Amino acid sequence: MGLWYTLVLAVYLCSCSAIASEAPPLFLQQQKITGVITDALGPLQGVNIIVKGTTVRSTSDELGRYNINAATGDILVFSFMGFKTIEIGIGQQTIVSVLLIEDTMQLEEVVVNAGYYSVKQKESTGSIARITSKDIEKQPVTNFLATMQGRMAGVAVTQSTGIAGGSFDIKIRGINSLRSDGNNPLYIIDGVPYTADAIGQGFTNTVMQSPTSPLNNINPADIESLEVLKDADATAIYGSRGANGVVLITTKKGKAGKTKFTVSFAHGLASVTRFMDMMNTQQYLKMRRQAFVNDGITEYPAYEYDINGTWEQNRNTNWQKVLFGGTAEVTSLQSSLSGGNQQTQFSLSGNFGKETTVFPGDFRYLKGNVRAGLNHESLDQKFKVGFSAGYTIQDNNQPSTDITTQALSLAPNAPNLYDATGNLNWENNTFENPLRLLSGKSFSKTYDLVSSANFSYEIANRLILKTSLGYTDLNHTESSSQPSTIFNPAYELGPESSQIFVGTTSRKSWIVEPQLNYGFDTGKLQVEALVGSTFQSQRNEQLGLQASGFTSNSLIYNLAAASNIYVINNDISQYRYQAFYGRLNLNWDKRYIINITGRRDGSSRFGPGRQFAWFGAVGGAWLFSNENFLKENSFLSFGKIRASYGTTGSDQIGNYQFLDTYTTAGTNYQGVIGLQPTRLFNPLFGWERSKKLEVALEAGFCKDRIFVTAAWYKNRSSNQLAGIPLPGTTGFQTLQANMDATVENRGVEVTLRTINITSDHFNWTTSINFSKSKNELVSFPGIETSTYANLLAVGAPLNIKKVYHYTGIDSQAGTYTFQDVNNDGLYNAADRKTIVDLNPKFYGGIQNQLKYGNVELDFLFQFVKQRNYNTAAFGPLPGTMRNVASPNVSSWTSPENTGAYQLYTSGANSAAAIAYGRYIASDAVITDASYVRLKNIGLSWDIPQKYIPKIHCKIYFQGQNLIIFTKFKGADPEFSATGALPPLKVLTTGIQLTF
Amino acid sequence: MKNIASFKIFILLPFIMLLSCSDFVEVDLPTSQLTTGIVFESESTANAAMTDVYSKIRDTGLLTGTASGMSCQLGNYADELIYYGPAGLSTENFYRNTLLVDDPTILEWWNSSYNQIYAVNAILEGVENSSSLTGDFKTRLSGESLFLRALLHFYLLQVYGDIPYITTTDYLTNSNVSRTSVDQVYQNIEEDLLLAVEYLPQAYNDGNRTRPNRFAAMALMARVYLYQGKWAEASEAASAVLNQTQVYSIESDLANVFKIESSETIWQLDSALPGENASEATTFIIIQGPPPLTALSEQFMASFENGDLRKEIWTKEITDGNSIWYYPNKYTTFENTGSSIQFSVMLRLSEQYLIRSEARAHQGDIIGAREDLNIIRNTAQLPANTGSTADGLLAAIAHERRVEFFTEHGHRFFDLKRTNSLDSTLGNFKLGWSITDRLLPIPERELLVNPNLNPQNPGY
Repeated sequence: MGLWYTLVLAVYLCSCSAIASEAPPLFLQQQKITGVITDALGPLQGVNIIVKGTTVRSTSDELGRYNINAATGDILVFSFMGFKTIEIGIGQQTIVSVLLIEDTMQLEEVVVNAGYYSVKQKESTGSIARITSKDIEKQPVTNFLATMQGRMAGVAVTQSTGIAGGSFDIKIRGINSLRSDGNNPLYIIDGVPYTADAIGQGFTNTVMQSPTSPLNNINPADIESLEVLKDADATAIYGSRGANGVVLITTKKGKAGKTKFTVSFAHGLASVTRFMDMMNTQQYLKMRRQAFVNDGITEYPAYEYDINGTWEQNRNTNWQKVLFGGTAEVTSLQSSLSGGNQQTQFSLSGNFGKETTVFPGDFRYLKGNVRAGLNHESLDQKFKVGFSAGYTIQDNNQPSTDITTQALSLAPNAPNLYDATGNLNWENNTFENPLRLLSGKSFSKTYDLVSSANFSYEIANRLILKTSLGYTDLNHTESSSQPSTIFNPAYELGPESSQIFVGTTSRKSWIVEPQLNYGFDTGKLQVEALVGSTFQSQRNEQLGLQASGFTSNSLIYNLAAASNIYVINNDISQYRYQAFYGRLNLNWDKRYIINITGRRDGSSRFGPGRQFAWFGAVGGAWLFSNENFLKENSFLSFGKIRASYGTTGSDQIGNYQFLDTYTTAGTNYQGVIGLQPTRLFNPLFGWERSKKLEVALEAGFCKDRIFVTAAWYKNRSSNQLAGIPLPGTTGFQTLQANMDATVENRGVEVTLRTINITSDHFNWTTSINFSKSKNELVSFPGIETSTYANLLAVGAPLNIKKVYHYTGIDSQAGTYTFQDVNNDGLYNAADRKTIVDLNPKFYGGIQNQLKYGNVELDFLFQFVKQRNYNTAAFGPLPGTMRNVASPNVSSWTSPENTGAYQLYTSGANSAAAIAYGRYIASDAVITDASYVRLKNIGLSWDIPQKYIPKIHCKIYFQGQNLIIFTKFKGADPEFSATGALPPLKVLTTGIQLTF
Repeated sequence: MKNIASFKIFILLPFIMLLSCSDFVEVDLPTSQLTTGIVFESESTANAAMTDVYSKIRDTGLLTGTASGMSCQLGNYADELIYYGPAGLSTENFYRNTLLVDDPTILEWWNSSYNQIYAVNAILEGVENSSSLTGDFKTRLSGESLFLRALLHFYLLQVYGDIPYITTTDYLTNSNVSRTSVDQVYQNIEEDLLLAVEYLPQAYNDGNRTRPNRFAAMALMARVYLYQGKWAEASEAASAVLNQTQVYSIESDLANVFKIESSETIWQLDSALPGENASEATTFIIIQGPPPLTALSEQFMASFENGDLRKEIWTKEITDGNSIWYYPNKYTTFENTGSSIQFSVMLRLSEQYLIRSEARAHQGDIIGAREDLNIIRNTAQLPANTGSTADGLLAAIAHERRVEFFTEHGHRFFDLKRTNSLDSTLGNFKLGWSITDRLLPIPERELLVNPNLNPQNPGY
């Protein structure tokens, strides 16, 4: 490995010296052309000027001036990101000044990153969604996945917790795999694959809903563009890892021109979007008393403190307000320096962010990162080198328990949190004070380096040899502490009972991708081809420790002070990956385009003889607007039909699954650390496969002022690596094997962009995206005898619940009743036949961008049509010593008065308890949870230069999750986990200065 | 110059691609795993595979002393314990006889037990195929594995009724097994135990009796015979253990019975860490009222005869000023101590006396039965039983077992069941009691994955 890498490098060095000795060609008949390039507001810096058909080029300076050598008859091409490209033929004139017009559609120029190659969006045969820094920087969020919410068709993003540093869930065109952890897309940062596998572990990450994700490391402010590859044409070149889509992250690069320093500072506030409507004390105590009446219990037991007089009967606390109703402060400071000349550009950026907590207490999330980028090209533009590196530090300090659950269940007449002397109140040992839990801390620190370098050399005309190299290094430590102070002091537990869980993860990976590109034109045919290979290696080390028995609680972070240290796990795993890939693109007269991609992949995750597999796709496009009969059409400005079909795969099954091994169990007996059988042995499993089909129409009208894309797709994933369910009598519950089940995702995605108004002073653009998808388990032989029988149904989507059908309240007994499907008098899985689909029916976003002079307003409404668990599904049996949602006030009290909910019970009525257990597993608790949300709003004002000379100053206001319109009664309809802190709404104001 | 450079690249690139052949994606074994073959090539790793099974039995499944084990759950299921914990825990469903087919404890017991059975079968196969393990070590490990296989199936049988008897690691066979009749399961248990008795040495491998020896197998055998009503065999097996007076003797002080060095202990489970104590203590001890999970029932407390020292030493009272609760105090220490004081006891001598007493009573040996019974009563400082009829003695033995083995691995429930007293006893005591509650349900998941296990136990 090392040897050939050295060879490649040596070859490059040789080629460099070869380039240096070349002199640029001279053409005597040329003359110097000069001019000034401006837009509506003034001079434009950094505009590219190229003599068409040559490599001669120049850039405009800060005053918009440029000069370039060109000959009579040449054509000068003026291009600049965000503006319409202009071509001007050179006659006798030597001064050519141009006015560039802003191109809101940009389609003409937009070159999208397709990973191994770039393609003009107009000529793309694949399905690629894209957002750029323009959208990203308007959002006051710390996780880049949040910036995609509501902005991309076919991309569903949901937040899993409102706690800072929490993770997001992303599904690109639905769920493909039966394995819930097998649906992650592939992330590529500047060409380097970035593993999204969790870096935290459940026992150290107790406050979050899911283990810490490394994706938080990516700083949204560093991102120039985000591309999501969706169909086979775009993803097949990623072969085995493209089944769930590919997210390409391109970081900001330096631009030629005057050295620019930008600094922005923003500060704001965040709080929960809304509270759940819970019972107040009056309602609660009424429920409690009625529960005992129903149970026939006349004397309240000694431990029912809320009702037997121990606690005040008139106190009424909204525990949600007290325990998570605080306001968090959000601060961000971003700075960047960039500049360079024609050959070399650089960028440097540094960012810092801080978010405090809505819980009582001093918790906060800090994130800082630095990024450096350097690009260089030789004078003849044949040799190019780029380098980019980012280093991120995250420091998260949260409580070890999300006390949202406590806030929701605590009796509203529970005592004060603090006693008269300011200490935690235990109310004579009758009150488990929820604040005790906050002395348990969840700390995490992450250090992450992502670096990449790429070299390219044009060996001959349009024959380019490229190599990209990448290295990532991530170190993560997290801990969850349970000091003895989380218990009531009456238990008399000292630091010897304190314990802490500590986990560390270290992940290093490198990748080398040599690539050869070739292109030529022959007649009307343009041909682009590339072949390349990938070598990737990743090493993951994970250590989990439990330490207990400390001499002092203040020494809890010093494991040496623990009397017991127990190693929970210590795993080192190696993942190796190798591939060969290629692409052939044929473009006939910019009318007919065929794109063929293929890949042969090998992964160390499969056993001998099963490591390699082929993947490939073919895509085609017909740009019918370029046909002669439409070329002059003034209404239709652009038209394209594209289609693609191909296969991709997935190897997201974890390492070493094919081995017959024993693992250290972490158990200790007679001083011996145990060894346990790891799994049932089956070396005979192979790749999971997805076949993807897409047909799409793209059309622009009235000079692209109206631009619409409509796509229909159908993806089928088979050979599922889901772990075949086995009975427990085998010793395990699953066997790693390919299952003969097929999952289909099909749907329609529509995007529409309209330029409603465009004038010198006022611009108004609207973008709408809409996705409607259907997920279906097409076949699953033997489902009835598998564990999935309770979870899935052939013909239904994957994300369903099989539940009882609720039939109302038994007016005599006062308990819930359900349909006994098979009339056997019993209620079990055979009766949970009602299928509730929890997938969104459709979703999307409507974004409006308005610009009036120097003022810009941008707002996004996100909408989702879906069903989800409602408040009735949350919480305990109504009548017990826990608060419940306020609709429960209407309960059965007598056969004449059945109410909306069954009779209360203090727990003594086992029939009611059982009925309640069935109720929360019935269709009664799943209701409409559709919503429309003002997801994001950004308002900014560019202060005109006349007020502040030499400095470009922008003042902005941003908001996230501001307003929601929904009939849903729970805390937040976006959110599926009850009892966890819902997403926060954030409001910030900021100032940006550019020097 | 330039041409030469590009020429080199052209030559090299395909060459490089060819060089990188498929062995790039073959990775070394992970450092945290050993292949199965290697595990059984050395005594230390094979022993580690064995100790892991004991750890698992201690920490999970039926026999664990934590609140999810039988001692707590079946104590609640029968008439020993009252449930005070929060609504919705599995234990509450045991207590209220509202167990459902998808109850997590029901599934956990089943899966953990068969996972432990898989592990011992893997050891039996690994040891058998090993070329480098020596004879004594091989037989010892095989003996322990067979003992554990019998033990686990014995408890599964008590809880679930007809169950599959698993003797291989082959998942193709094990995934569509049918239920084996109770008689056949007992026969298999006896066969395994006979071999275990043959294979296991008389001596313990450590001073703390944390690995079973021949007499542990014999003691379990005595119980297996007793449960089947094979009185002569039960008596004989119990005698074989009781005759080892050099090794086992009754502790005169009840406070020492559950201590590590107790001479009554036949087999106990080592703690996970030095200084840790049996987890039964955490499960049952109540630091302040009301009980966070469970406490002894009034009926049980009332069943002690006056002066029974076991009431004084093995139970403890706690009050919040208004109410009084009692909890089992056989295991007295839940905190860590300098060195461990108590391990979780699996088999103890007093059971052997009561087994032989019961077997003798059934065989008409009244004097012998009384003698054995009175050894136990004597320790509790109770007057000697003077009964002269078999029926009277059997009732006395049943009572003695109740107050002797309370909250120990479901003894009470199993005794009521095997003596056909469940309905008469629990029917009055428990509101939700039904005749079909004598068996717990087979986990629903299990029936779905392997329909051969149908039908479900009656009543579920």
